[in-house]
Amino acid sequence: MNEHTPHEHTPKGWRRWLLSTNHKDIGSMYLIFSIIGGIAGLIFSIVIRMQLAHPGGTVLGGNHQLYNVFITSHALIMIFFAVMPGLIGGFGNWFVPLLIGAPDMAFPRLNNISFWLMIPALIMAGLSTVVGMGAGTGWTMYPPLSSLTGHPDMAVDFLLFSLHLAGVSSILGSLNFITTIINMRAPGMDFFKMPLFVWTILVTSALLLITLPVLAGGITMLITDRNFGTTFFDPSGGGDPVLFQHLFWFFGHPEVYVIILPAFGIISQIISTFSKKPVFGYVSMVYAILSIGVIGCGVWAHHMFTVGLSPSATVYFSAATMVIAVPTGIKVFSWLATMWGGSIRFDTPMLFATGFILLFTLGGLTGVVLSNGGMNIVLHDTYYVVGHFHYVLSMGAVFGLFGGFYYWISKICGRQYPEIWGRIHFWMLFIGVNMIFIPMHFVGYNGMPRRIPDYPQAFAPMNYIASIGAYLTAFSTLIFLGVALYTVFRGKKAQSNPWGVGATTLEWTLPSPPPYHTFETPPHIGGDLHEHK
Amino acid sequence: MREDHKNVLVLLTCGVVLMASLAYASVPIYRIFCQKTGYGGTPTLGKMNTGVVINNRIIKVKFNSDVAPHLPWEFEPLQSYIHLKAGENGLAFYRVRNNSNEPVSGIATYNVTPDKAGIYFNKVQCFCFIEQTLDPGKWVEMPVQFFIDPELAKDSNLKDVTSITLSYTFFPTKTAKSARHNIQIHSIGDKNV
Repeated sequence: MNEHTPHEHTPKGWRRWLLSTNHKDIGSMYLIFSIIGGIAGLIFSIVIRMQLAHPGGTVLGGNHQLYNVFITSHALIMIFFAVMPGLIGGFGNWFVPLLIGAPDMAFPRLNNISFWLMIPALIMAGLSTVVGMGAGTGWTMYPPLSSLTGHPDMAVDFLLFSLHLAGVSSILGSLNFITTIINMRAPGMDFFKMPLFVWTILVTSALLLITLPVLAGGITMLITDRNFGTTFFDPSGGGDPVLFQHLFWFFGHPEVYVIILPAFGIISQIISTFSKKPVFGYVSMVYAILSIGVIGCGVWAHHMFTVGLSPSATVYFSAATMVIAVPTGIKVFSWLATMWGGSIRFDTPMLFATGFILLFTLGGLTGVVLSNGGMNIVLHDTYYVVGHFHYVLSMGAVFGLFGGFYYWISKICGRQYPEIWGRIHFWMLFIGVNMIFIPMHFVGYNGMPRRIPDYPQAFAPMNYIASIGAYLTAFSTLIFLGVALYTVFRGKKAQSNPWGVGATTLEWTLPSPPPYHTFETPPHIGGDLHEHK
Repeated sequence: MREDHKNVLVLLTCGVVLMASLAYASVPIYRIFCQKTGYGGTPTLGKMNTGVVINNRIIKVKFNSDVAPHLPWEFEPLQSYIHLKAGENGLAFYRVRNNSNEPVSGIATYNVTPDKAGIYFNKVQCFCFIEQTLDPGKWVEMPVQFFIDPELAKDSNLKDVTSITLSYTFFPTKTAKSARHNIQIHSIGDKNV
């Protein structure tokens, strides 16, 4: 490498991307990857809504395994190949170093392999849908459905190896983030001066490091059960399928916090910027993030209330789950208090942030309903659950993604998005997703089971509304793609800080787009960052 | 590599390795946990009957039998239920017959319903503890000896329990080679149905 002039060294052509060790380039690749993943996941969901638009839907030609495959792929692609690469890989890589005044990530080459592992992972996930009967296990992959009994051909193996690769990628990425945040903060950037987005990435990375190895262990057992005759989850050899559920949800539940925490971080930055006030209760926000992370690791069996937990275990898991509503409530009230009395500008990022607060809180409320072990027995595996987790993930995490996109795109590409189209995108998406998911609560409450490709006539009107909402959402996504392409290639040149006095974090001190290498000489952080002048 | 980077990396990598090992350690831990606590309807093994009998607590013990789909055996309890006082020794028989024309080995798994009764259901002697091999066309009667822990009468969680079902499922003994083979034959068979 060019040791003498590292500052000017900017590789050109394909080498710049394939061999990239630059956090900004890798972040950009993650963002593009996330958009591609999101489109794939969206297409799956649109087909699902087409099938469910009318009772007796025939879109999939009566092939119900295919429906299972679509359900599975929709979930896995959205989680592992859209939301995580976008929030953590994309915005995390781009802005964690900028926000703490570091020149790059701690391990730039590790960062490169983290990204490039995602490509074979996505390819394998794609193969799992077309090989043999396809992997129709749901994202939870419970045996015996995911064992040879349920899926005798290679599809599930592809899926499991895909998750292994995505998991290794995330673990390496997390090692990188934690080391960067611990060791590379600019002088004066104490832990309690770090912007909240950095805090959320730190806690998310820690959660990934703790839980992903457990998932990796669980799916490795599944792979050996399927291919090498072990019987970890097979009762005929003394195994127990419920053990898989414990291992899976020990990962799976913290995973939802992995997804939502970075969105919390982005929302905090946006609310503060557009209210022109520091985040209300910064320290309690940090402790809320930490306690969500800690408690989130001890509530996994609330996904398993129907496996026959003892009454005391049910009580514990119900109560512990409800406790999470406390730090989450602290965050919601702090956001509201940040806005209170602020001089608020409702630009697109702020629309997404306020939309996030409203819809995430609704999803949180249905979550408290579901956390009750007694209620859960009734609502388990109904569309009520589907409605709940889409409110927190599809409207929570995805609104965080879009909010982050509109907030930071001018910094990333040096061009500003067209404000009016951003707002049109927001309102169409907002109406669309609510049309999809509000009716799901009603049909779910009345007993419509999830993961079933048909339903009785009584549920027809609500399902029809949901499907129309899905088409509207798809249309809004086309608008988003138009906005994104227009911004990147034709958008108005952006100033270094388009948001004015509210934007106090370090990235806005840099030109847009920032030079290839930034903060080679660390900036000095004086005073308290969170006290706006 | 910077020294401080290395320290953090080593520490975190140890954490990852630790969690991965815990995932595997969870297999035996979970099994022991189920046996100790009766979790998931796991009956208690190897406990001696103290001889205390609670005369006013009579439990109806029902017997259930299942055979894994690809095991050519016939398997049934010889009595559908018995009434038993808590603390009293119970004895029941099952009959199993090999309907195929080759010797087959199988092993039974077991649990009790309701799950919460598992910890009070003690098995003293059971055919399920060992692998059974049956010659073609042969049948055998197998005993299971058990008692219900009199402590059950004191547990307020079990006040509503008047009957306990003991269930067995016979599986073919699994070998690495036959696993995928068996299933594939089975699933081809399914398509013809």
